[in-house]
Amino acid sequence: MARSTGEDAQALFHSLRSAYAATPKNLKIIDLYVAFAVFTALIQVAYMAMVGSFPFNSFLSGILSCTGTAVLAVCLRIQVNKENKEFKDLPPERAYADFVLCNLVLHLVIMNFLG
Amino acid sequence: MARSPLILVALISLIPLLCHSFSPETPTGRRILVLVDDLAVKSSQSLYFKSLSSRGYELDFKLADDPKIALQRYGQYLYDGLVLFCPTVERFGGSIDQAAILDFVDSGHDLIIAADVQSSDLIREIATECGADFDEDPAAMVIDHINYAVSENEGDHTVIASDNLIKSDVILGSSKIEAPVLFQGIGHSLNPANSLVFKVLSASPATYSANPKSKLSSPPALTGSAISLVSVMQARNNARILISGSLSMFSNRFFRSGVQKAQSSTKHEKSGNEQFLTEISKWVFHERGHLKAVNVKHHKVGEEDEPAVYRIKDDLEYSVEIYEWSGSSWEPYVADDVQVQFYMMSPYVLKTLTSDKKGVYSTSFKVPDVYGVFQFKVEYEKLGYTTLSLSKQIPVRPFKHNEYERFIPAAYPYYGAAFSMMVGFFLFSFVHLYSK
Amino acid sequence: MSASETAGERTVRHAFGNVLAFFILLLIGVLAFSIRLFSVIKYESVIHEFDPYFNYRVTQFLTKNGIYDFWNWFDDRTWYPLGRVIGGTVYPGLTLTAGTLWWVLNSLNIPLSVETVCVFTAPTFSAFASWATYFLTKEVKGPGAGLAAAALLGMVPSYISRSVAGSYDNEAVAIFALIFTFYLYIKTLNTGSLFYATFNAISYFYMVCSWGGYTFIINLIPMHVLLCIVTGRYSSRLYIAYAPLVVLGTLLAALVPVVGFNAVMTSEHFASFLVFIIIHVVALVYYIKGILSPRMFKVAVTLVLSVGIAVCCAVIAILIAVVASSPTKGWSGRSLSLLDPTYASKYIPIIASVSEHQPPTWPSYFMDINVLAFLVPAGIIACFLPLSDASSFVVLYIVTSVYFSGVMVRLMLVLAPAACIMSGIALSEAFDTLTGSIKFQLLGYSSVNSQAAAGDASPDSTSAQSNALKPDKSEETAKERTSKKSKKKEKEREKEKEQVDQSSVQPRAGRRLQVLPLEASIIGVFLLILLGAFYVVHCVWAAAEAYSAPSIVLTSQTQDGGLHVFDDFREAYAWLRHNTEVDDKVASWWDYGYQTTAMANRTVIVDNNTWNNTHIATVGTAMSSPEKAAWEIFNSLDVKYVLVVFGGLVGYPSDDINKFLWMVRIGGGVFPHIKEPDYLRDGQYRIDSQATPTMLNSLMYKLSYYRFVETDGKGFDRVRRTEIGKKYFKLTHFDEVFTTHHWMVRIYKLRPPKNRIRGKAKKSKSKTSSASTSKRTAKIKKNPWQ
Repeated sequence: MARSTGEDAQALFHSLRSAYAATPKNLKIIDLYVAFAVFTALIQVAYMAMVGSFPFNSFLSGILSCTGTAVLAVCLRIQVNKENKEFKDLPPERAYADFVLCNLVLHLVIMNFLG
Repeated sequence: MARSPLILVALISLIPLLCHSFSPETPTGRRILVLVDDLAVKSSQSLYFKSLSSRGYELDFKLADDPKIALQRYGQYLYDGLVLFCPTVERFGGSIDQAAILDFVDSGHDLIIAADVQSSDLIREIATECGADFDEDPAAMVIDHINYAVSENEGDHTVIASDNLIKSDVILGSSKIEAPVLFQGIGHSLNPANSLVFKVLSASPATYSANPKSKLSSPPALTGSAISLVSVMQARNNARILISGSLSMFSNRFFRSGVQKAQSSTKHEKSGNEQFLTEISKWVFHERGHLKAVNVKHHKVGEEDEPAVYRIKDDLEYSVEIYEWSGSSWEPYVADDVQVQFYMMSPYVLKTLTSDKKGVYSTSFKVPDVYGVFQFKVEYEKLGYTTLSLSKQIPVRPFKHNEYERFIPAAYPYYGAAFSMMVGFFLFSFVHLYSK
Repeated sequence: MSASETAGERTVRHAFGNVLAFFILLLIGVLAFSIRLFSVIKYESVIHEFDPYFNYRVTQFLTKNGIYDFWNWFDDRTWYPLGRVIGGTVYPGLTLTAGTLWWVLNSLNIPLSVETVCVFTAPTFSAFASWATYFLTKEVKGPGAGLAAAALLGMVPSYISRSVAGSYDNEAVAIFALIFTFYLYIKTLNTGSLFYATFNAISYFYMVCSWGGYTFIINLIPMHVLLCIVTGRYSSRLYIAYAPLVVLGTLLAALVPVVGFNAVMTSEHFASFLVFIIIHVVALVYYIKGILSPRMFKVAVTLVLSVGIAVCCAVIAILIAVVASSPTKGWSGRSLSLLDPTYASKYIPIIASVSEHQPPTWPSYFMDINVLAFLVPAGIIACFLPLSDASSFVVLYIVTSVYFSGVMVRLMLVLAPAACIMSGIALSEAFDTLTGSIKFQLLGYSSVNSQAAAGDASPDSTSAQSNALKPDKSEETAKERTSKKSKKKEKEREKEKEQVDQSSVQPRAGRRLQVLPLEASIIGVFLLILLGAFYVVHCVWAAAEAYSAPSIVLTSQTQDGGLHVFDDFREAYAWLRHNTEVDDKVASWWDYGYQTTAMANRTVIVDNNTWNNTHIATVGTAMSSPEKAAWEIFNSLDVKYVLVVFGGLVGYPSDDINKFLWMVRIGGGVFPHIKEPDYLRDGQYRIDSQATPTMLNSLMYKLSYYRFVETDGKGFDRVRRTEIGKKYFKLTHFDEVFTTHHWMVRIYKLRPPKNRIRGKAKKSKSKTSSASTSKRTAKIKKNPWQ
C-alpha cells in the first residue's frame, strides 16, 4: 500500500515535471517571478514569528506587497497564456498595460502604508 | 447715640472711605458696625473694642433696635464687618434683619456673634444658619463642676476656665496662650459633617449644659467635648464668622481677672481672654491666613508662551504665585504642601509645588499618555487659611500622524521586501517585454 | 442588397438608440435630483436630523483648515472631558467629497457656501447612483433593463428617505459607491480585464472611506465567488475579478484610519481571506488538471487528499480556537446584532435603543419599495433564464439584502438598489415578451427572413431590445411630466417603430417561440404601464410628504389652513450661543449632541456617536436620580447647563420623557443602583398621580414639568394624555434659565454650592421670621422669558 502510493507519487512527479517542461518560456519566467514573491513573503512571516509584529502596518504592507505581486503576476499569466480560450482576443500589450497599471496602484498604496 | 445729625455726618464721612473698604486687593476692611443691646456694653467691653480700634478699625456703635441702622444703602455696603453683641434682641431696627445679615455674610463680609444666657430666637437662628446649634433651652448655661474657675464665692460653677484651644498658629497667633480662658454662657454643638465650621474653644469632657437654677429632670442634651464654647466658620466665599456663647468673656472684668482652675494649683495673674480674643479677632478680620493666588502660568519646557493645546508625553512647567495678607500688605506665602493636579475626572499627575520663598510655586512634569481635556487644579484647603481653588482647562491631543518615528529599525526587513518587490517588477517587465 | 441595407439601417438605428439612451439617462439624472428637492421647497435649505449636523461641522472644519489639520483633528468640544479624535473615528469619504466639490466650485469662482454644497451633495450623488445602476444592470441583462432599473432607482422612496436635499449623511455617497463597486466587479467578471479590477479596488476604497456598510461588499463578493465555484462556474475571469480585489482592497481599507487593522483582524473580513485561499486551491487544481492526464490526476487527488486533509483540519482547528477565544468571536457589536437580531437588546441597550436599528414592519416594505415588491420575484426568475455569473450575483445580492433589511430598518436602503435592479430586469423582460408578441402577431414574419438576419442577430439584439423598449421608457419617464395625454400616443408610437425595426422579432422568434395573443399582450403592456404610473405617483407623494421633513423644524396645520412653524430647537441653540460663555458645558441626552456642538457651538458631554457607553450611562444615571445626586454627578463633569426636550405642551412625541426609560436602562446597565422596576408602576410607565415616587423625584421629571401647571392650570400632558402627578414643586439645585416658545426645549443652570452650611436645628416659625420670609419671597427672581 505504501509502496504503491510511493510509486504513484513518483509517477505523479514525473508526469508533472514533463508537463511543466512543455510550457512556453515566457510563462516560465512569470512563474519564476511568482515564486520569488511567495518566497519573500514566507521569509517575512518567519521574521515576524521571531520578532513579533510590532510595526504591524509595515508587516502588513510587506506581506501584502508580496502577495499582491504574486496575484497580479498570476493574472498576467492567465491573460498571456495562449491556451486560454477566453482571452484569445486580448492583445498581450493590453494585458501587460493593465498589469502595469495595477502594479502602480499597488506599489503606491504599499509605499503609503509602509511608514 | 441715635442722633440723626451724628448719623448723617458719620454716613457722609464714610462715603470717601469706600475706596478703602473691603476689596480683594485689601482684604481687611476698616468700618465695623457694632450692634449692642445696651450702651453699657460699650464701656464694659471697652478693652476689647480698644484692641480693635488700635489696629485701625472704625467702630460704629448702635443700639440693636435703632430704627435708623442699615447695612447697605443703594446697593453698596456701608460696613465691612459686623459685631453682634446683642444676645437678647428680638428684632433688629431699621433695615437689618436675619436675611440682611446673612446676605452681608454671603457677599464676603465678616461677622462676630456673641450669644449669652436668655439669648433670643433671632440670634440662635442666625447662629444656626452659620452652622452652630445652640441649646434649645434658653435658660441653660454651661456648667462644669471640675474645670470651673475658682472665685471668692462658691458660685454655681457656671464660670468655667477652659484651655481646650484649637491648635493653629494661624488662628490663635504664634505665641502660646498660657492662661486658661474664662467663659460664662451657653454652649453650642456643631454638625460633624459640616466641613466649614470648627471649634476654637471647646469644653472639657466634664461640661454639660443645663439650667443652673433648676433641678435636672432629664439628662442634658449637650455634654462633654461635643460642646463648643467658641467656634468659627469660614464660608465658601471666605467670609469668616466667630460664634461665641458668652458675651461676658469679652468684658473688661474677665480680661483683667486672674484665673485658677479648680483642680490645679497654678494661679495665673491674668486670664487668657484678652490674648485669645485679640488674636482670634485678627484672624476673623483677615489679618492672618488670607491667601491669594495669581499669575497661573504653564508652558512647554523651553518655550515661553502658553500653548492652546498640549500633546501627550510633552514636558511642561506650571507655576503660580501665592501671597498672604499681613494686615497691611501682601507677603509671599511660604509652605511646602501646595499641590497641583493634572485632572481629568481623576488626577493623573499629583505633584507638590516647590516654593522659591518669594511666593512663586512651580513644578514640572510630563503629560501622561492619555489624551482628553485636562485641568490644572490647585485645591488648597488648610485649617485657618482661605481656600484656594484654581482650575485651568487645557486639551491634550494625541500624536499627529507624522509625529511618530519615521523609520523603525525593526521594520527594515519589510521595507526591504517592499522595495525588492518594486525592483523585481521593474526587472521582470524588462525581461517579459524583450524576451521572445 | 438587403443585407447591406439592413447593415446601414442597423448602424443608424444603433446610433439613434445610443443617443436616445444617453438622453434618457440625462433625464433620469435630472429626475433623481429634482425629486429630492421637496424639502428645500417646502421648508428651507437646511441640514436635517442629527448626524448630518456633525458631518456638516466636520466639513466646515475641513474647508476652513485644510486636509492636514482635518486628518489630525482632536475635538475637545465633545465627549467632555474625554474628547474625540475625529481623524481616526470618522468615515472621511463624505466630508472629503463635499469638501472637494466646494473647493472645485470655489476655484471656478462659483461662490457657493459650504452649507449649500452639503445640502445638495445627496441629490447629486443620487443622480450618479442611478447612472451606476444603469451600467450595472446593463452588464447583467442589457441596456433596456438598465434604463428601467435606473429610472426605478431614481425614484425609490427608501433611497429618497436617506438622500433628500439636506440629509447630509454617509449613505448619500455610500450607495453610489456600493452600486459602482458592484458594477465594476461584474464588468471585470464579464471581461476578465485587469484594468477594471484595478478600478474595482479603487471604487471599493471609496466605499470603505464612506460607510461602515462596506463590510457588506467584502462579504457578498466572496459569497458569490464561493457560489460560482460550488456551482461549477469557475473560470479564470473569476480569479482575475476576485484575487486582486482582496489584496488591493485589504490594503486600501487598512489605509482608512477608522478601519485600520480591523481590515485584517475582525471576523467581518475573514470570509474574504477564506475564499481567497479557496480560490487559489481551486485555481491550482484546475491548472494541474489541465496539464496532467486524467489518470495521473486521479492519483494526484488521492495523494493530496490523504495528506492534505490532516493538515487542513489542524489549521482550521487553530483558527477556530483563536477566533472563539474572543467573547464576541471577533465580530463588532453592530455586526453581531445583524446576525443575531436579539443580541443587541440583551447585551447592548444603546444599539437597541436607536430607532433605526429596530426591525421593520410589513407596511414599511410597501412604503419603501412599493410596487417593486411584486416585481422582484419575477426578476429573480428572469435572472435564471439564462443564468450567468452576473445574474447569479444579483440574485445573491437580493437574497442577502432582503434578510438584512428584515433585521434593521436602516438596511432597507441596501435592499433598494437590488430591488430596482431586479424589477428593472423583470420589467424589461416582460415588455420584451409582450411587445415581441405584439409585433409578431401584427407583422407575421415567417422563418425565412429570420435566417437571413440570423447572422447579425447578436449585435442587433441589444440595440433592438433597446429600440423596442425606448419608446416605452421614454413614455414612462415622460409620465410624471405630462399626465394622461401620452398614454394615448404610446400605441401609435409603437406602431411607427415597428415599421423601422424589422429584424428585432427574429432573435426572439428564433430562440423561443413564446408568442402571446395580441389582445393579451396589449392589455399586458397597458397594465404594466399603469403599474409604473402607480409607482411614480407613490414615489412623488412619499418624497413630498413623508421623507422631506427636516426634523429640526416642525410644522402643523392651523385651523384656518395656514402653516404653524415650530422652530424651538434653533431658538434654544441660538440662546445658548448668545447667552453662555464659550467654555460652558451643556449636558443633554445624546440625541442632541451633534446639533448642540454644530449650532450652539458649546461643549457637550455625550453626542450621537455613542462610542463610550459608560459616559452615556453617567448622564442617564444623572437624569434618573433625585436632584441632589444629579447635581453631584453633573458637578463632577463640570457641567453648567442642562438641556431637556419636552413635548407635552404641543404634543411632540419624541421628547425626553418618552426616551426616559432608555436612559434608565442604559444607566442601569452600568450603575446597578438604578433599577428599571423602580420607575414603573405595575410594569407600566406612568407620569400621572399613579407614578412611583422614584419617578416623580427623578431629575428628568422635575426638569420637564417644572412650572408646567402654570400653562393650563391642570398640567395636562398632550403626549402622554394625562395630567401630571406632581404639579407644584420647587427646584433646589437647578435654576430655569430658558424655555422656548412652545416649551419644547428647556434649559437649566446648575446652582453653585451654598456659601454656608446650616446647622441641624429646625427653623422656628416666629413673628420675626415671617416678616423676613415675606421680604425673601419678594426677592425671588422670575424667569424673564415667561
